[in-house]
Amino acid sequence: MSVATISQPILLELGQDRWDTFLDNVDTWLGNVLLTQASFRKLAEDTAGKIQDPRIKEQIVCIADTAKEHERQVDALYHAIGRDPAHGRAALGTVAAKGREVVGAVTGLTGGAPGPWHDLRQMLLSNLDAMGAFAAVEQCGLALGLPDLAKIAFQVVRDKSTHQLLIQEYMLEMAPLSILYNESI
Amino acid sequence: MAVSATQAPAEALQQLPTKVRPKVDAGDVMVPDGYTVEPVLVGLSFPTDLAFAGDGSLFIGEGGSTWPTRPAMPARLLRLDPSGQLEQWNAEVMPGPRGLAVHDGGLFVSVKGGYFSQIHRYDLKTKQKTVVIPSMPDGGWHEPGGPIFGPDGLMYFGQGSVSLQGVVLPAGFSEDVAKHPDAKDVPGQDVTLTGNNVWSRDPRFPLPVLVASGPFKPYGVPAAQGEVVKGEFWCNSAVWRAHPDGSNPELLAWGIRNPFGMAINAQGELYVADNDFEEKGDRAIAEDPDCIWHLTNARQPFGSVKTPDWYGFPDLCKDGLPAWDPKHLPNRGKPAEPLIANPPPWAGPAAYLEKPHSCMCKMDFCPSDDFGFRGELFACEWGTMAPFNTNRPEALDHGFKVIRFNTESQTTETFLANKQPGPASYHRGSGGIERPVSCTFGPDGRTLYVLDFGVALVSENLMTSYAHTGVLWRVTRSAGRQA
Repeated sequence: MSVATISQPILLELGQDRWDTFLDNVDTWLGNVLLTQASFRKLAEDTAGKIQDPRIKEQIVCIADTAKEHERQVDALYHAIGRDPAHGRAALGTVAAKGREVVGAVTGLTGGAPGPWHDLRQMLLSNLDAMGAFAAVEQCGLALGLPDLAKIAFQVVRDKSTHQLLIQEYMLEMAPLSILYNESI
Repeated sequence: MAVSATQAPAEALQQLPTKVRPKVDAGDVMVPDGYTVEPVLVGLSFPTDLAFAGDGSLFIGEGGSTWPTRPAMPARLLRLDPSGQLEQWNAEVMPGPRGLAVHDGGLFVSVKGGYFSQIHRYDLKTKQKTVVIPSMPDGGWHEPGGPIFGPDGLMYFGQGSVSLQGVVLPAGFSEDVAKHPDAKDVPGQDVTLTGNNVWSRDPRFPLPVLVASGPFKPYGVPAAQGEVVKGEFWCNSAVWRAHPDGSNPELLAWGIRNPFGMAINAQGELYVADNDFEEKGDRAIAEDPDCIWHLTNARQPFGSVKTPDWYGFPDLCKDGLPAWDPKHLPNRGKPAEPLIANPPPWAGPAAYLEKPHSCMCKMDFCPSDDFGFRGELFACEWGTMAPFNTNRPEALDHGFKVIRFNTESQTTETFLANKQPGPASYHRGSGGIERPVSCTFGPDGRTLYVLDFGVALVSENLMTSYAHTGVLWRVTRSAGRQA
């Protein structure tokens, strides 16, 4: 025999079993995406309720609303791999509390700064975490030749990148007030 | 190491799980009468090159992080043995394979990753790796070329430029600037700079920080008028040759933007493909052709080349005109200015000029009358990245084919292309080729193998490539037919 006489095409990593395993792994990761995004959305909603400055409050409310839409987009990601989003939602409730603990541990101490400014710092980290989770889904979509998976995730990452700049900007704008003057925002 | 590979009936190719390439169908591909084309291997991730071993095994390199750099898939060497068994041949984690050649019991692989491209030799029996060429300066945009072996037994290889447009800029993929902040183009001869710099917004800062960058400098380092940059033997945009163990290397040429495709014929004549400048960004250049250079320095006795030939990068287009010539003024972006005050003599003209943005890639000379067109150069054209790298509508279907080039008569013909112009993904329902990246003739002399990189979708502001969409095609000459 020779390569010239191979009669049937060979499928590399496209067989049913291997492909199902790929999709199972994406399915599992989407649970993490949902958790990180739901954590961020809850944090954004809580933070918006605490902030006094009307112009920042308006922006954070807007971010929280978009975060809710992004959370819904996780369902679309499940559909893009032909899976049911229901089980991801079911798992969310049991692990959400633990996720909040993780966010708290990551953000550390307040450094003496009071009030919701510290929540903005938490949002910065939490959004970054969720953005990375969506970006990983985009990579999986590109890796598996699934453009819907990649495109949905990419749009969310694009929004969240803008939000990241915005949250950082307000966090930095308010830093002297919070750290030097110990004022709440 | 085993990989998940299954032989499947041809019908399985009509409903693939990769929705971006849902079918592969040779019926949509056009080859000359007397030839048959068929898919052999489907599902490759960013394949870059292929090479046959003496026992009939076919090695295929999957590039890992390629074009663009994401998604980064496993960089690996696959071996398809003559019985149809497929395995991952390399055991260790490796940089991205870009070129493969089998010579004298060894598999030679050019690899890209980090600040230096290298050439590795793997013993075909023991798989023991030896780094034969350790340090071609890279860390940027373009690719190592070759390795290939000439009838003189020497190894020929190259390295493309770090910069896309002659100055390191965060043009499209800013991660290069973050990953390799010290990467720069290196000239093969002393050059005096004009002092022209290019301003850009540094993407590493969240605020609009503007920086000036000069040629042959890392990003953000300006050049001064009259400044001399010393030429180095290990430069880039260059082609060398050496003994197969890497000893006695000799610099043949520099100023070749991307010498990814290289081929040498039975008479020892060396041909190198090159890719055009792009019409976008802060040093935009329009209508630069792709081309094939004939490197006449390879005719010189080994060890006798005192001065490398210069083929124009970063200041000349492939037609020999300056990048700032009116013919090459862009209709978007900032026009180019001269970078080198004392350019060396130009070694052109090119043996063949191709349409801009055809993206000429790897090539092979036909060795046998059994296939036909003996002695002609078969060259892959990966295909345009328009409308991303130019907004000219006429560039939208340039490339996406395999041509044959008669080096004697300097004529070309399309040998393999889709029946409808462009890649299959341009046409809903088509199962034809996407982007031919490499080709090689099989040991039987009757068969040409064409490696199809897979789906790379391009829009006005984005380019995305999809793994698991690469295909190995086989073109066979029907018995008794004349070419």
